[in-house]
Amino acid sequence: MRLRRLLWFNAVFSIMPVALLAGAVVEGRVELPKSHSAPVQAKRYEIVTKAGVLSTQPPLAVVYLDGAFPRPASLPTKEVEQKDLTFIPALLPIRVGTRVEFPNLDDTYHNIFSYSPAKRFDLGRYRAEERPIPAEVFDKPGLVTLRCDIHDHMRGLILVLNTSYFVMTDTDGHFRLSGLPAGRYTLKAWIDSRTTREKPVELKDGQTLHVDFP
Amino acid sequence: MKLRALSLCVFACTACAFDIDDFFDQVDNALTASAFHDNLRVRLSGTLDLEIYHFEQPAPGLIDSSIDTLFNPRLTLFLDAQVGSHIYFFSQSRLDRGFDPSDHGAQIRLDEYALRVTPWDDGRLTVQIGKFATVVGNWVPRHLSWENPFINAPIVYENVTPIRDKTAPFSVFDFVYGLYYYQKYAFNPVIWGPSYASGISVSGRVDRFDYAVEMKNASLSSRPESWNVTESGFEYPTFSGRVGFRPNEAWNFGLSASEGPYFRREAEATLPPGRDIGDYREFVLGQDASFAWRHLQVWVEFYEARFQVPRVGNADTFAYYVEAKYKFTPQLFAAIRWNQQLFGDVSDPPAGSIRWSQDLARIDLAVGYRFTSHTQLKLQYSYQHETTGQGNDNHLVAAQLTTRF
Repeated sequence: MRLRRLLWFNAVFSIMPVALLAGAVVEGRVELPKSHSAPVQAKRYEIVTKAGVLSTQPPLAVVYLDGAFPRPASLPTKEVEQKDLTFIPALLPIRVGTRVEFPNLDDTYHNIFSYSPAKRFDLGRYRAEERPIPAEVFDKPGLVTLRCDIHDHMRGLILVLNTSYFVMTDTDGHFRLSGLPAGRYTLKAWIDSRTTREKPVELKDGQTLHVDFP
Repeated sequence: MKLRALSLCVFACTACAFDIDDFFDQVDNALTASAFHDNLRVRLSGTLDLEIYHFEQPAPGLIDSSIDTLFNPRLTLFLDAQVGSHIYFFSQSRLDRGFDPSDHGAQIRLDEYALRVTPWDDGRLTVQIGKFATVVGNWVPRHLSWENPFINAPIVYENVTPIRDKTAPFSVFDFVYGLYYYQKYAFNPVIWGPSYASGISVSGRVDRFDYAVEMKNASLSSRPESWNVTESGFEYPTFSGRVGFRPNEAWNFGLSASEGPYFRREAEATLPPGRDIGDYREFVLGQDASFAWRHLQVWVEFYEARFQVPRVGNADTFAYYVEAKYKFTPQLFAAIRWNQQLFGDVSDPPAGSIRWSQDLARIDLAVGYRFTSHTQLKLQYSYQHETTGQGNDNHLVAAQLTTRF
């Protein structure tokens, strides 16, 4: 029995490096739009206001491999925090079926809601220490715009995708997407609600492909 | 015809709701600008309100109209600017048919403008100067059309009383029965709307307590014309303040007080000999509380007010309301508000004493639907009943379509 288990572990470990090496890689750069002006918070009727300004949120893109891929058995829970009157991260790509928690890390109420067709919800007002942390499961692909009913400058995005093969660019637009299955696909770069660029790609195991989205 | 136009707007909003959201987000980005490495940031925003009121005469509250069905469009523009991290400026200008709904022609006004300095990061002190809403009570933060669950204001902010600020009464009879023979716009409520008077305020937060004090050029009951510093200077200032206690985010309690002369300059000639405007003051004490959790919000305000009235003496009134709003779905909400105002007696030598106005009770019911995060429709029904005197009733039905950008 012990010998059989040893042989089994040996077999698994002997094929593991091959599995890790398998899969294609796509890297490149997405031309990002110019940065928007940072939001201005309306403080007209707040008796108490704190100093400080809202931070600029540089544009980022999401690069993903489009196609019909099997859904994983379980998906990790993601988080969008409300901190310093902004959503962190401001853009979150997720797989369809992912549960997202919305912890409030400010010392004031927030009221997160979305009227987007992909997910319509309103979490109401809740305190930082409230448990369980309010959460939603995003079960339809599409773009979900997050807003706060109390702080109208707050804006966040969740991009719900049918694929598990996605990555966010850095602020310069560079990306690297690894562990991709071999085959012919469409590689897409989501830039904003009106702009998604795409390119056909043919992926081979162990190959690194360079794709730019000008 | 107007109802048809409103219906068409509603239909159009529903049909292209999500394109509209995207469009307004683009507009928002286009109307936000920054310079000097983001140290100066400016945002222009606004609301367009289309309102229809149907009521019985005399028109309720501060509505000034001799026709029973009133169409009241309003364009409001806001400018918010942040300079560095410690200086903030805002202004509000409006194009409408008067500060309160009326059947008058169009007018443009600069209703609010203020410069705010917050020297420390933690919010312990904020100094604001300009023309801006009062710090008294808890209604001001939700008085604009997008935030207000109702179309009108609570009774204490809009019910006209026998108090007049342009002329002093000649007798107790003239004071008590003046409402029947003077034009409605001659009279004042206890607090005129958000009271955008001019002046300076100091506010801040220390642990769970917050405070705000202000010196303004006009009393809480003063009419919108009196709020301009060009109209009324600071010879007769009004001092107001509020202390708040916030045990947690859900609860908020406040105590407010205000004191100042309420007559305008033109009333001076009608005052008793040897008296001046400063001798006749409005005193207001207020208590407020609010609660919010998830989809429920509740607000309560109580006000005790005293007016020193020439040839009459002290005229006391007590007003309160309880208001609740609940969101049934992400887009549908409903609200209910119970308002009451009670009046004391004034001395009338031949008759002994007389109630200086009729007690009132009013219930407001509203339902609202947000088609998008930029478009909202509200419908309201109000029933007002005089609980003393002849027991007059008034029914008001109103609709308000708001688009914000």
